[in-house]
Amino acid sequence: MIGFRWCAVVSLPAVLVLAGCGSGSGDVVERVTEEFTAAVASGDSVRACELLTDRAREDVECSSLDVPGGTVESVEVWGDAAQVRTSDDVLFLRELSSGWRVAGAGCESRGERPYTCEVGGP
Amino acid sequence: MKRFLRDNGLGLAFGLLFLATLIGQAFAGNADLDNRRLTDGGDPIGFWQYVASSDFAVDVAENWQSEYLQFFLFIFATVWLMQRGSPESKPADRIGAESDKDQLLGAHVKEQSPPWAKAGGWRTALYSNSLGLVVLGLFVGSWLTQSIAGRSAYNNDQLNTFQDPVGWWDYVLSADFWNRSLQNWQSEFLAIGSMAVLSVYLRQRGSPESKPVGTPHDRTDESG
Repeated sequence: MIGFRWCAVVSLPAVLVLAGCGSGSGDVVERVTEEFTAAVASGDSVRACELLTDRAREDVECSSLDVPGGTVESVEVWGDAAQVRTSDDVLFLRELSSGWRVAGAGCESRGERPYTCEVGGP
Repeated sequence: MKRFLRDNGLGLAFGLLFLATLIGQAFAGNADLDNRRLTDGGDPIGFWQYVASSDFAVDVAENWQSEYLQFFLFIFATVWLMQRGSPESKPADRIGAESDKDQLLGAHVKEQSPPWAKAGGWRTALYSNSLGLVVLGLFVGSWLTQSIAGRSAYNNDQLNTFQDPVGWWDYVLSADFWNRSLQNWQSEFLAIGSMAVLSVYLRQRGSPESKPVGTPHDRTDESG
């Protein structure tokens, strides 16, 4: 799920290498994603909007949130940012002082350009 | 104690300078990262969290690798390449690995020569290249560390700008990795080349990196 655990064993010096490895937040990211998609699916727009970053919340009407959802298939966490692929969607999350929050949902790839998202985005 | 300080002044002074500047870099880097995070919607991170981050690691490692590359190439290049008149260079008649007599090996070892210089065989062969090999190892280790920490920092930026993260091989072939590497390498090579040439014509009285002030420009292999 998080593809960089191997790096703790392969290089020197140890302090720098450990710094280059991830934070092991994959489970929390997965849980927040599932909570967000469940809230959207059940129409709990208040809870869904609470799980958005401030920046993502600026651009949406909380009462009409609608993103694909789906079950989580993979999580990548790098520092304070994460990407979650579900069976139907790609989401981006950000770790803030209040915890992990959804920065983008309903995102579609545009090749080498940044994803475009129905909620939040670059 | 006083004698110890005098005998090790160069190593101690630069060791302390290294620690002071590394700490300074950590504070400045933390403030810089916090500024960037606030700009792109993130939250600031604490000092120790920053010191343990890939952002700090890659910034440190990319400079370390280039310094060790510089010394590795300088150590090996000065065996075969010369610069007439430079105190960093050998004279033309000593180009190459030199004789056992010049290097105090074989029948010419001294009683106080290092044990592996006296041992002969593979030990002496290895010890004869130990400085260059260790510095080469430090370069490779630092460069590898740069690639791993750099990928982590790069992927963090990728995700924060809503782009896909990349694998290690893709990162090693990326513009970010080579921009970080080459911008450091060019400055190291400039420093070596300019030092080799400037020291032909300019002097620093009392420094072993310079020839004695009155030495003719074309005189090689002399330091003062």
